[in-house]
Amino acid sequence: MERRLNAELWDKMHYLFRDFNDRMVHVELKYDYEIDIEALKTVLICFFEKAPVLHSCFVDNHISTHWEVKPYHIDDVLTVSYPEDVDEAVNDFLTQYIPPDADIQMRVAVFFKDGKSTLCIVENHMCMDGGDLKYFIKALCRNYSDYVEKKISPVDLRTGSRSYEEVYSGFSKTEARMAKNLYKNVNSKDDHAFPLTPDNIRDKSFIARRKIDSERFAKLRAAGKKHSATVNDMLVAAYFYSLYELADFNVYDSVSISCAIDLRRHMDDVSDTGITNHTAWMQCRVPERGKDIFETLKYTVRSSNKFKKDKFMGLYGLPLLKLGYNILPHTASEEIIKIGYSNPLIAMSNIGILEADKLALAGNEPTDGFMSGAVKYKPYVLLSATSFKNVLTLSMCVRGNEEDEKTVEKFFDLMEKNIDTLING
Amino acid sequence: MKDFIEYIESSCSGIADTPTLYRYKKKILDEITERANEITHSGLKDEAVLCDLIKDEYPDLQEGYKKFAEEERLKKRASLMRKLIAVGSVAFLAIIFFVYFAISFTTRRWDITWLIIVGGIFALVIYLLSFGIKRLCKMRRVFHPIARILIAISIMMATVFIFLFCLMLVPMPNPWTIIPCGIIAMFVSDAVFAAVTRQKLAIINYLLYIPASAAMLYVVLGAQSVVPWTPGWLIVILGVLADLAVMAGVIINNSRYVYKQEDDEWNED
Repeated sequence: MERRLNAELWDKMHYLFRDFNDRMVHVELKYDYEIDIEALKTVLICFFEKAPVLHSCFVDNHISTHWEVKPYHIDDVLTVSYPEDVDEAVNDFLTQYIPPDADIQMRVAVFFKDGKSTLCIVENHMCMDGGDLKYFIKALCRNYSDYVEKKISPVDLRTGSRSYEEVYSGFSKTEARMAKNLYKNVNSKDDHAFPLTPDNIRDKSFIARRKIDSERFAKLRAAGKKHSATVNDMLVAAYFYSLYELADFNVYDSVSISCAIDLRRHMDDVSDTGITNHTAWMQCRVPERGKDIFETLKYTVRSSNKFKKDKFMGLYGLPLLKLGYNILPHTASEEIIKIGYSNPLIAMSNIGILEADKLALAGNEPTDGFMSGAVKYKPYVLLSATSFKNVLTLSMCVRGNEEDEKTVEKFFDLMEKNIDTLING
Repeated sequence: MKDFIEYIESSCSGIADTPTLYRYKKKILDEITERANEITHSGLKDEAVLCDLIKDEYPDLQEGYKKFAEEERLKKRASLMRKLIAVGSVAFLAIIFFVYFAISFTTRRWDITWLIIVGGIFALVIYLLSFGIKRLCKMRRVFHPIARILIAISIMMATVFIFLFCLMLVPMPNPWTIIPCGIIAMFVSDAVFAAVTRQKLAIINYLLYIPASAAMLYVVLGAQSVVPWTPGWLIVILGVLADLAVMAGVIINNSRYVYKQEDDEWNED
């Protein structure tokens, strides 16, 4: 019998983002250890059964949308290979695209070389965001270890509601009603864009990365404390300043960067929710570049503090989206929402720390790892930041050409330079 | 399979062995077997894990049994009710026709006895609609508008019968005023339904119904000479004022739930 799952608000929103990005979230973890493939298959099957959205196809019949649970075989999910060039294989795997109407929404690969393994995961953002993917991979590693070492069945994965309304669960009745009345459209258009080349059918997806070593990252944190700024503020300030330099924006122009916010901050307990999306955006804005990067940092801190003071941070516009999707057929509601929604040209997602101890497989901690958001289509860009063993990884996934790759590399050079300035200031 | 049977048996131990319990166990076993086949086809080879995974999906069979037994009881009751309604309806119609012919032949008042047939059929239809309304109210909100339409139909049928009855048997001035009274009753019942079932945007209903009902009340009271036409029109004005009062009440109530965000610092600049 056909099994259907609700298409939740964020599923539909990420589906709407199909014009702006490929909606894939990427993870790479490297181990000095040979992963037990049979055990990994067992864990993955259990997780797919506990989270059926991962083996469902998204159905859009123009009137309404839903997920249809599909049969699958684990060999369609997990790829195992022994490539000569692991980096190339990883890049090829991570830059793949899973269409929403595919029968599976997550693919996993393990690449073996010289007794080492690289575990890669690609999943559709419509199923879950970076926050839940981080939880998912930690649960995967914990269940794998327990299964391999203690023969405990790998069934310990959160299940429950995927509804966006769970974000109101931590509020009192009055607060929840207030939050559900926030019909304000917080989108404001900013035409400043990352200087990429125009679209071309020869463009290919690529993931550019840059590492900031642990010593510099520690200094950045310390410098942040000195300026009463968080690491996120420091990175955003460096991002702003690098953009002004790279794109040659007028120094008196106001520029904004949309920063991802995890809405789980409003929830007291997430243990009874299923894997889903709870991410919104806040527009961090500087009124001008400032005379130096420290002034940019001051503006950034002011802007982000304004959001932090807001009890309902990130919840604006959700009731409006709900109303839009509820009162009209799906295609019509998408058109209406597109009128009011402007996708940010420049964005940043600080995914946070990847805890090595929690990502250990049978006692073997990963030696390196990173996570990144979707491959953006030009002119949109998203800078992802993750830290692993105190090493910060900045990554940008773009569908572009060699020139764009060079631009992104130049941007990372500027980021490094500006981070150094912040450290030494 | 053996593991699953043992799991079902041990989970259901302590429950009185009845045919219902057997049916429940059989249903669960069929479901579990189908799920196990599905998962095995996905490539799971470890039977212990398969068993744990299935157990995890069916964590509380005792609670499941309670629900299953209750559902069965309700199904049986519904089936019995359907039979009773079918037989009862036929019997009721037979009685109505019997009464109609008996009174008509006895009194020879064929000109008014047809009211018995109309009244009987209307009463039966309203009674049957009440089951539909009850069922629709228990369903998802999307089905509630159908329930509201059925309630309106029931009220209008009753109104039409009262109108015909009064027209034929009760000497009263302007019996047509019963129809606007029925419409007022329809608006009131719909407003009550919207309030009780907490329908979204019910306020729009109230704002439409209040002045419309006031206008009809004015016509009814005027036609029945209860209130003179002038200054009876004040009833319509009162209806509009009541509308404004409701609107003000809603605005005041909603203002308690408006969150005032601090001003944008850049805008201040």
